Amino acid sequence: MLLSKGKASLDMRSAYGDSLVEAGLKYPQIVCVGADTTDSLKTKKFGNKFPERFFNVGIAEANLVSVAAGLAMAGKIAFASTYAAFLPGRCLDQIRNAICYPNLNVKLVVSHAGLTVGPDGASHQQIEDLATMRAIPNMKVIVPSDAISVMKLISTSVRTRGPVYMRLARPPSEVLYDDSTAEFSLGKGNLLREGKDATLIGCGLMVSTSIKAAEILREEYSINCGVIDMFSVKPIDDELLEKAAKDTGLLVSIEEHNIFGGLGGAVAESVSSRYPVPVERIGVADVFGESARDEELELLLDVYGLSPANVAKKVAEAVKRRK
Amino acid sequence: MTLKMRYLDLKTKIRAVRMLAIEGIAEAGSGHPGASFSAAEIMGALYFRKLVHNQFDPFWKGRDYFINSKGHSAPGFYATLAVSGYFPIEEIKSLRGFGSRLQGHPVRYSEQQQKWSVPGIEYSGGSEGIGLSVSVGLALANRLDGNANHIFTLIGDGESNEGQVWEAAMSAAKFRLDNLTAILDRNRIQQDGFTEDIMPLDPVRDKWVAFNWNVIEIDGHRVEQLIDAINKSLEVKDKPTIIIANTVKGYGIKHMTNNPQWHGKAPPRKQTPILLEELDCEFLIAPSIIAGGKENYEEKIRMAERGGADIIHLDVMDGRFVPNHTFLADTIHKLRKITSMPFDAHLMIESPAAVIDDYIAARCDVITVHAEACKQDEFSEINSKLISNGISPGIAINPDTALPDWIWDYLDSIDVINILSVNPGFPGQKFIPTVLPKMINAVKELRRNGYKGYVEADGGIDSLTLPLVYEAGARILVTGNAVYGTPDIQGAILQLKHSANVVLEKKLLNLSTSIGIRDDWLKTRKHILIPFANELEIEEEIHALK
Repeated sequence: MLLSKGKASLDMRSAYGDSLVEAGLKYPQIVCVGADTTDSLKTKKFGNKFPERFFNVGIAEANLVSVAAGLAMAGKIAFASTYAAFLPGRCLDQIRNAICYPNLNVKLVVSHAGLTVGPDGASHQQIEDLATMRAIPNMKVIVPSDAISVMKLISTSVRTRGPVYMRLARPPSEVLYDDSTAEFSLGKGNLLREGKDATLIGCGLMVSTSIKAAEILREEYSINCGVIDMFSVKPIDDELLEKAAKDTGLLVSIEEHNIFGGLGGAVAESVSSRYPVPVERIGVADVFGESARDEELELLLDVYGLSPANVAKKVAEAVKRRK
Repeated sequence: MTLKMRYLDLKTKIRAVRMLAIEGIAEAGSGHPGASFSAAEIMGALYFRKLVHNQFDPFWKGRDYFINSKGHSAPGFYATLAVSGYFPIEEIKSLRGFGSRLQGHPVRYSEQQQKWSVPGIEYSGGSEGIGLSVSVGLALANRLDGNANHIFTLIGDGESNEGQVWEAAMSAAKFRLDNLTAILDRNRIQQDGFTEDIMPLDPVRDKWVAFNWNVIEIDGHRVEQLIDAINKSLEVKDKPTIIIANTVKGYGIKHMTNNPQWHGKAPPRKQTPILLEELDCEFLIAPSIIAGGKENYEEKIRMAERGGADIIHLDVMDGRFVPNHTFLADTIHKLRKITSMPFDAHLMIESPAAVIDDYIAARCDVITVHAEACKQDEFSEINSKLISNGISPGIAINPDTALPDWIWDYLDSIDVINILSVNPGFPGQKFIPTVLPKMINAVKELRRNGYKGYVEADGGIDSLTLPLVYEAGARILVTGNAVYGTPDIQGAILQLKHSANVVLEKKLLNLSTSIGIRDDWLKTRKHILIPFANELEIEEEIHALK
């Protein structure tokens, strides 16, 4: 897998907004519903381009996703977007009963997930969504790691029938992929780096954190770690995980989510039945977050154990325990 | 606007729905009779009349949508679909069972769900408060596609506790969805009790007006009001419509009526035959406005409507077929403007075929012609004309006339057979007793030959003779002086209904005895039977129940 050399930072939401317009040109059946956050989610671009296919229902998340369900019932590919704190936070039942149960073609693309929402604080720091979304039959759960993967995965979502939950982060993210070569398929993780002592499995912003942690581990601890971008949390790439378990004997999940039920849970569930090895789950340790200004985000992540240095330290301890 | 509802046929189908629903619930041992019954007319008016749908091609693109947001009304919904021909009627017996296509709450049909659903079910209900939002999405998408179809959504009053209903309400008004009609089943009961105790919804009309909806409030068990309201909603521009249908939970089976206990409880299976009998014995009170003189017709209609009559009987006499003259089509035309109550026009006229168009144009809902006044080919012409105009066709016979030989060819299409118990011409005549055995035999013969329509008793019907003809099988009871001969119209109608109900309660009690569950039935029915205890001579038994 080729990584981008540039290391520029791009905004995932802008990538979403642009991709949606592009998809909208290609697919006239794409419609978009917003909930008073269309400027922030960048879906307004779609609204400006296709005003008759764009519906703002105001601050009403239950209505937001259910209207999307109705649009999908009539043959539309319906995108519904707002902040992750409220979608799925406020409308789990509607997602379950109105979208997933009838397996409708609704794409829930949300932003501001995890601790990196920053200044807004814990009320807005969604750290439970992967657990809830993963548990609903028919739902697919995607967590892109950079702007390139957002664009590619929006296109994949449009071509995939049925409900999709895609989780984006608020801050600009380092570009990890090369637009011309990167590939993303549902149910497939991307092995970004080979290793032999452990495999770091990240999603979202924590993929770049994993890469940095792997560097630290190599340089400071002489530990050789592989890195996987597990953007497809559900369906998860069982084969890749099994191979990583066989090759490295230790799996470490890293996510901006509660350590319960998210990517770590999915990884553990997969290997525990296929090829059991120790799984170290790094995430938010079952506590609520707190505010931090944009310039303090690294500090926030560090305090909650999600900085590259902190991750590296935990991985080193886990490797040591094994030996 | 002409309702074109073929009133009696619609009533017959809805009765069949109630019977099927209760059979399913009893068989399943659980389910929601309350909502199935309060919404029976709403779903019937839609599926049997107003909804543009095709049971042979359920997902046809141009169809109207019916979104049943109160999923617990499933048994009634399934029964409506079955009577509409979406799936075999016998399948209702699998309700709520393992492997049944009739799941506890309806499931949207798809390839993935085909084991648990039947084609025609658009929406997976069960979680309250969502359906109206989904309908907003459907309405937006269909408008976007330039479709001329309409979205109908059934919502509940308990369901309206959900904040999402009001989110949806705001958005439908914002988007000016005139292709959306919500119908509120306002039965005033939710699972824990009465809505106004659990979470008051009133003033419900004001709420919807304030949310910028077009609001129509009606009696949700009167199909004519439902059809009229739906027609009006289809004409509204730039606004969604809500029809507030005031209904009675459990309507159709008296001990289930307006009783929160029956929100989600099944009757014991062994009671099924009695419940079916009760539903089958539904009757209509039809005051004849020529009683008490040939004037004040409008006032008499209004009084009958207020008094709880079901339909208005119009005795049309031309002075030739009968030796009296009352009124003709032009009068009916004028009267039509004051009410949506069904008009049952009994044409005592010569050569009805020649003037039938006038009565169709006068917007009668039932038109009965005399077997003595037309030959088979004339009746044939009248019959098909009436049906194509959405009017219930009927045949009347005089006391000394037998059913015409050719009637058997029309049993599928005739909605009412009027067996007159006086010689027509004048109001206030005495009931001719020899008509009774004739009626009993005719009903038997008709039922044996598969006739599903109504038998009407007309002439000298009062609280003494009504029980006799009701017992004989008449289900439309035309009454003249018994209603208009007293200043207390409402009291008179109540008394007539009571006299029929005495017969009914006796019949049901006897049935319970014959199937060996008399005590059980007395317990179930106790609070209904108390006012009848004296007449049924069961005071001691009732007293001993405690």
